[in-house]
Amino acid sequence: MSAVSFSGVSKRYKDGPKAVDSLDLTINDGEFMVFVGPSGCGKSTALRMLAGLEEITEGELRIGDQVVNDLPPGDRDIAMVFQNYALYPHMTVRENIGFALEVAKVDKKQAKKMIEDAAELLGLTEYLERLPKALSGGQRQRVAMGRAIVRSPQVFLMDEPLSNLDAKLRVQMRSDIIQLQARLGTTMVYVTHDQVEAMTMGHRVAVLRAGVLQQVAPPQKLYLEPANLFVAAFIGSPSMNLVASDLTVDNGVVTLAFAEHRVRLAAGAVERYPGLLERNGSEVIFGMRPEHFALAGDIDVDDDQIIEVQVDLAEAMGAEVHVHATLDVPPVSIDGEMIDPDADSQADGTRVIARIDGIHVVAMGQRIRLALKTHLAHFFDPTDGRPLR
Amino acid sequence: MSVRRKGPRATFVRVGTYALLIAVAALVVFPFIVAVSTSMKRNSDIFTYPPSLVPRAEVTVSDAERALDGNTVYDFAERDGSWVLVDDDIPLAVFAPVGGQADDVTLAADAGERTGDIMVVDGEDVFLIDVDGEAVEATRVRLTVGGLFEPIDGGDQIVELVSAATPQREFGPRFENFPQVVNEKNLGRSLTNTLLVTIAVVIGQIVTSILGGYAFARIDFKGRDKIFMLYLGSVMIPFVVLIIPLFQLMLQLDWTDNLVALIIPFVFSAYGTFLMRQFFLGIPSEIEEAALLDGASRWKILWRVMVPLARPAIAALATFGFLYAWNSFFWPLVIINSGNPDNGLLTLTLATLGGRSSTDTNLVFAGAVIAMTPPILVFLFAQRYFVENSATSGLK
Repeated sequence: MSAVSFSGVSKRYKDGPKAVDSLDLTINDGEFMVFVGPSGCGKSTALRMLAGLEEITEGELRIGDQVVNDLPPGDRDIAMVFQNYALYPHMTVRENIGFALEVAKVDKKQAKKMIEDAAELLGLTEYLERLPKALSGGQRQRVAMGRAIVRSPQVFLMDEPLSNLDAKLRVQMRSDIIQLQARLGTTMVYVTHDQVEAMTMGHRVAVLRAGVLQQVAPPQKLYLEPANLFVAAFIGSPSMNLVASDLTVDNGVVTLAFAEHRVRLAAGAVERYPGLLERNGSEVIFGMRPEHFALAGDIDVDDDQIIEVQVDLAEAMGAEVHVHATLDVPPVSIDGEMIDPDADSQADGTRVIARIDGIHVVAMGQRIRLALKTHLAHFFDPTDGRPLR
Repeated sequence: MSVRRKGPRATFVRVGTYALLIAVAALVVFPFIVAVSTSMKRNSDIFTYPPSLVPRAEVTVSDAERALDGNTVYDFAERDGSWVLVDDDIPLAVFAPVGGQADDVTLAADAGERTGDIMVVDGEDVFLIDVDGEAVEATRVRLTVGGLFEPIDGGDQIVELVSAATPQREFGPRFENFPQVVNEKNLGRSLTNTLLVTIAVVIGQIVTSILGGYAFARIDFKGRDKIFMLYLGSVMIPFVVLIIPLFQLMLQLDWTDNLVALIIPFVFSAYGTFLMRQFFLGIPSEIEEAALLDGASRWKILWRVMVPLARPAIAALATFGFLYAWNSFFWPLVIINSGNPDNGLLTLTLATLGGRSSTDTNLVFAGAVIAMTPPILVFLFAQRYFVENSATSGLK
């Protein structure tokens, strides 16, 4: 077991932009670190550099105390699980798991025991003599895990290992992996584009965008205190509603205006985001998670913290209802890119999703009054995306 | 899954399809059957009329008491029963009765009694011969040799011209053709040489193609793609163009009339390298990366992971290489001295065997059958690899 540290690590493909741009990150010994981000953000490249499958253009990568920049993959004492499992199709499960031991010339008897221990840990004992093609997706996935754990490596690397499984199995394997990692206590680097996996699995989550590390934090902190507009928009499902608003400060009272609405911010908001007070007369990005809304009658708020909207779509989820509405404000973008990948950049309005109590029946086209819990809201600078703390 | 159509029209189509397929198959297989059948015939059996696809041997009898030892059994058109040829060296004479009304009679050469009178008919002596108990005057037209026949169950012997009898035949393949052609016509040595050359070429081609194909597919080195294009380009050059330079090269190396000249130039195959490269490219790179992470060296990955996955391609390559080397004729004809039987190849020996002066048709066919058996076996054996699952079965 070992810590992993990236210092100023960059990867540049021939004639291309940097796939990973001076990554600085330390992964502690025994930590479960998740790399998350949209496709093409450099998370897999970072993992492959750690594995030794990609050359490092600049910077220094350490595993434990050793600089591994030029160490071949086999000498790094790491194990990796691939998205498509990459089992050796012509070898039985036993041979697949034992291949690394065979290469390392581990004593046959000892290797047999190690293979069988790993197989037992993963519930593969009865499949040891089968070929991969005779296994189900979940079993193949476990064989790939077995191949990784049998050598007791210093670091586990997982590249979207669950993305080929069906939803139910994915949930099951998710908890299996968490338990396995906790049990073995091995440092784990896990790449995913699925934020649910990121949030539920990692001790800490590293969010990447276009090769640049955005924020590293425990999942809860990532959610509650996003370091910038991108993280705020990326983490959470449904994602945070971001509305460009005009801010006025009058006597310490902060008011936001967007479309036909005017909202007075609660004192809590200003406490958490004191930067708001310096932005009189300028535009800010107002960020509200869906759960920061409630139907007006459900909570006790003043009238100036309520907006009235027309329902575009109401999705009854059981415990809650997701209400979609459109505000007549241009949608928010970062560096010319839309935050919400589903958003229509041509649309005139900003779509907001509010999560209200499931006891309410809401119909399409109905006008409803939404109360805003502004003391929980987030505020960002529209130019650099930084929070106005 | 295919949906089977039903109804009389579909049945008609299906029957028609099968009929056509069977007809074409029969057409293709027929020469092959003729070759196999002829290879097991006696030479005397090949040109019989009507021709027979089944090798038939003459029926013989052995009986120590009657001093018969493998004597042939004959039928006569005008006599009943089967007759055993006891002696085929009986002097006979053909007598033509004087006057010309009666048919010619064949008798023992000394059967006729010269008449006392000296009668000359067209300058011929006249004999008195006995025809059905009647003495007839006849001239002796021709002296010949005939056979002494005995009924198969014993009885009175008769003398007849052998050509008047047809030997009885029964099913009887002559397997001796094979050892005979191998031993007498130098086919044995040629077979050994061809086997040696073919195996060396096939193994050499597989090894070089695997190494080259892997390097072109997976190892990044400077100028790789240019070299590969050059390599591919060499496939476009017809072999006839290469014969003279290659011959000169062999002269320089003093490899003429040497089996090495049949092996070394052919163990490097641009086509095989291309085939292996394409196959290796199709193997997901993750499998190789997994092996790298497992600590395997390139060499180990190649032989333990890539090669086992490439079995279908290797089987194809081996089959083509085998057929090419086994059947190659022109280059051996050029480089191997035809006067040197020690370096003969199957193709060369077969060509001489079937040449102008050939009389042993059965042996030519026996040699051909020997020559075509190994390729057929190789093909049947390799076939199951062609249909084997592709390498991706371990994924997803």
